[in-house]
Amino acid sequence: MKRLLLLLMLGLSMAVKAPLALAADELTLGVFAYRPVDIVMSKYQPLAEYLSEKTGLTVRLQVLGQEDMNRALAANQLDLFLTNPSHFLVIRSERSVTGVLATVLRRSGATSTASVGGVIITRSQRDDLNELTDLAGQMIASPGIHFLGGYQSQLLELKEAGIDVRRGSRIKLLGSHDRVVRAVVDGDVAAGFIRTGIIEDMLTENPRLGDQLKVLNPQNLTGFPFRVSTRLYPEWPLVALPHVDQRLVRRVAAALFSLNRNDPAARAAGIAGFAPPADYQSVEQLARDIRVAPYDQAPQLTWLDAFHQYRLWVIAIAVLMTLLLASSLWLGRKKRQLATSQRRLRRLILSWPQPMVMIRDGKFLYTNRAAVELLRYESWASLTNKSVASFLPSLQPDGLSSTGKISDTMNRVHRGAVETGEWLFQRADTSELWVEMTLAPIDGGGENEHVLLCALYDITRRKQAEKRQRLAASVFDHVGEAIVITDEHGMVVEVNTAYGAMTGRTRAQTAGRLPPLPLEEGSGVLQATRERGFWSGEFEWKRSDGPPLNLALTMSAVYDEQGNVTHFVGIYSDISAIKKQEDQLRTMAHYDALTGLSNRSLFADRLQQTMAQARRQNDHLAVVYIDLDHFKPVNDAFGHSAGDDLLVEVASRMRSTLREEDTLARLGGDEFAAIIVNVEDRASLENLLKRLLADIAEPVWVADHLVEVSASIGVALYPQTVELDGDQLLRQADQAMYRAKQGGRNGYCLFETTGIEA
Amino acid sequence: MHRRQFMGLLASASLAGAVIPGCARETPLRVGMIHWIGYEPLFVAKEFGWLGDSVALTRTASGSETITGLLNGSLDAGGMTLDEALRVSSQGVPLTVIAVMNVSAGADAVMVRPEITGLRDLKGRRVAVELQAVSAVMLLKVLEEAGLTRADIEEIDLPVDQHAQAWRRNEIDASVSYEPMASVLESLGAKRLFDSRSLPETIFDVLVVRRDRISQRKGALRSLLVSHFKGLNHLVRNFHDAVYRVATRQEVTPEAVRHALGTVTLPDLSTNQRYLAPEGQVDKAAGNLQALLLKEGLMAQPVDLDRLCNASFLPRSPV
Repeated sequence: MKRLLLLLMLGLSMAVKAPLALAADELTLGVFAYRPVDIVMSKYQPLAEYLSEKTGLTVRLQVLGQEDMNRALAANQLDLFLTNPSHFLVIRSERSVTGVLATVLRRSGATSTASVGGVIITRSQRDDLNELTDLAGQMIASPGIHFLGGYQSQLLELKEAGIDVRRGSRIKLLGSHDRVVRAVVDGDVAAGFIRTGIIEDMLTENPRLGDQLKVLNPQNLTGFPFRVSTRLYPEWPLVALPHVDQRLVRRVAAALFSLNRNDPAARAAGIAGFAPPADYQSVEQLARDIRVAPYDQAPQLTWLDAFHQYRLWVIAIAVLMTLLLASSLWLGRKKRQLATSQRRLRRLILSWPQPMVMIRDGKFLYTNRAAVELLRYESWASLTNKSVASFLPSLQPDGLSSTGKISDTMNRVHRGAVETGEWLFQRADTSELWVEMTLAPIDGGGENEHVLLCALYDITRRKQAEKRQRLAASVFDHVGEAIVITDEHGMVVEVNTAYGAMTGRTRAQTAGRLPPLPLEEGSGVLQATRERGFWSGEFEWKRSDGPPLNLALTMSAVYDEQGNVTHFVGIYSDISAIKKQEDQLRTMAHYDALTGLSNRSLFADRLQQTMAQARRQNDHLAVVYIDLDHFKPVNDAFGHSAGDDLLVEVASRMRSTLREEDTLARLGGDEFAAIIVNVEDRASLENLLKRLLADIAEPVWVADHLVEVSASIGVALYPQTVELDGDQLLRQADQAMYRAKQGGRNGYCLFETTGIEA
Repeated sequence: MHRRQFMGLLASASLAGAVIPGCARETPLRVGMIHWIGYEPLFVAKEFGWLGDSVALTRTASGSETITGLLNGSLDAGGMTLDEALRVSSQGVPLTVIAVMNVSAGADAVMVRPEITGLRDLKGRRVAVELQAVSAVMLLKVLEEAGLTRADIEEIDLPVDQHAQAWRRNEIDASVSYEPMASVLESLGAKRLFDSRSLPETIFDVLVVRRDRISQRKGALRSLLVSHFKGLNHLVRNFHDAVYRVATRQEVTPEAVRHALGTVTLPDLSTNQRYLAPEGQVDKAAGNLQALLLKEGLMAQPVDLDRLCNASFLPRSPV
């Protein structure tokens, strides 16, 4: 509202005074409204009147706020102005002024001062606010930024105390000192910034104010009439503008300096007069220190200025920078080269198909891809820092402890040796891994870590092959069968132990000779093997120093890649024992075990053969059936053993009685049968039969007893008028024997086809 | 009584003799001087906390206390007049001048009875002078100017603070003294016959350091001089503020401070560089002083003037 009024007034005055300002005898004095306009107006009106009177000009007073004053100055509507030093600096930076005509001497009672400072006030009750530092974070009221005593001087003190009240907008700008004091008294803000002299001014109107307020950071300055919180600066300047006639300016200056402190005009304005213009450097420095307009920008220093001032430095730094740049470039290039070669080396090691590992202090440092795959890990990172010993089983195949062996080996390598050896590794999945490991030191001079390069070569297959070979050799040596390996001509190259045992020959004796082969086929066996790939057969072989052997041979050919036979491998089995057993079985099948005579089945075979032969050769033969009489009583009286002895003796007598070409067989129990070939006539047949009966009848010494038995014999002749087989023939002989038994035993009876005994 | 002691005694003795022990890890550089307008830049710096931890500035009660402190080693550096620096050096503790703090330009004066109108009128008069202080130098210069010798006058060796008393009792016709005693005598009717404005760049107040302490305290010495020039800047540029602070410390009115500041010049950095340069003004003045003091028997033995000044601790650029 007040501002609106002010603007209205300004508008009016502009309209009225614009032409008047040009008049030579009229000057307009602008005074900054640091307190309410009416107060300032009443304070300075007498001064304007004084100046009018002294100079003979019409001096008009205008009381303006800072912005209005700026506008009025821009429009050249003011001829003189009186404002605070900070505002003066801003004006001076924006437009040219003639310079300071005079500096205000502020009065207080009997003393006066040309200095102004800032006061920091707070309510007396605020016990928490005693030092500058207590203001941190508090809300503070100030009349405005371009107030020396109401803003800038306090800011410097706070800044030096380490507090930046501008941060976080803790400052309320209220436009005038009176409002600041009111805001502090009302408690709207914690503290207020005002210029020196305001409190003393207001105390005359309101004496209670002294109890309500207290001053922070009070300065004890002898001779300074006001309470103050900051250092001091020169008071307000009165400034003339360049467009004002110099003669008028001199008249105004003369009037100002001749103003007596007791003049009513001075009393009303609260001043003691005017002093010669002060040096406002300290205010400029203040504005610079706290960075407010017109020094809110850091001074622009051109490159040329800097160069002129620091020529030597600039040159020295430029030379140094050039050297630095050059050495950086050089270092950079070297580094790139090094990196490239390092990468190349790394790639080489990483992609080398043979597993490679770097070991530091017994632990994996780097491993290449092949090594990672060999140890069946996911990545080299997961292998890093694993100790080498963790991949070794507790014992190596040579019986040494793995940890002891590896640390011994590494110690030797640390001393500079290169070690190569076969190691058994055990992977995490417990699978075994045979490697040939070469360890070599790669420590550079002066390095205190021991780094080893370790190359691994997977020899697991070789080791497995060796194992198989050893097994095969062991089988070859220890198998029961004799094995012989010959060259393509059949000459012995290698034989096993069993072969030596079988043949009775030493290895040296057999080498370069033919192995045992069937007599009748000889090298034909080799030929057959060559053609069919193998040959097998059995043969009898005469051993040089023992009984003949029955051998079974399997001969196989060994071919090369082109299909040519390079070797023969023969496997011999000694089947002599089997052969013998076969013979025994055969004997058991055809002969009577007790007497050694043919049994019934062999007899039947022989009979069949003999009958066929007789038919072909038109010969005659006779089948004789012999049954011992009274044999059972012998058995019963002297036991079966005695019976057996008797049978053996009787059989032996009969055999010796019969001719070689005749066949005698035991059909079972005490029954025998014989085939008599080439029967020429009846008489010789009967003689033979009588001899048989006589031989049987001879007493036999069995079981310490002389025993006498007889036999009943039946005979059947062949051929007969009708054709008949062996069984029929034997049955006829049996029937004839039966008749002989009936006829009184110990006799013989011939089977007659007519049924009439001969 | 040494020069400036009088001014020192006028001030409060509250800090007298208090050598503040350093609480920093490294013992701070101990610097002592009296309260004297020409030494104010350092006290202003101390008031604003610009001295930092490496320097402990102590106010001494008198110039002789400063000298004793330097001689017995309780101080590393101090402020005194150039002739005092030479006399201390000749007593076996070599001092090095690292800065000129002020040059007397009217602070030292010869006050006389009104009937004495020219320098030559001093012949046969009773002249009060303090021979062990800078007054002696002033007297010798005055006599030189007047073409007289010490034998031509009646020399009364009297500490400066007793000159007013002697004047009132009419025991002296002239007083070789300095501010503010000169002003006191003026108010008693004395006339200013001659003052140090006529002896430009002759009477120096210098910042000295024991030569044996230099090598260990280079950093502290540099920051001491940075603080001095910062204080000097404030004194000159923020005069509107400094005048009240100096007045408060010296317990005089701001007007008196304004007046006192008019009697000394406070050389800035570039002037210091000029003064301390080899064969510079300080060297020349020291040579003259030494010859004078030796001749008059006020100094026992000569000191090595080649190494008197050391400009290497002055800030490289304006602070």
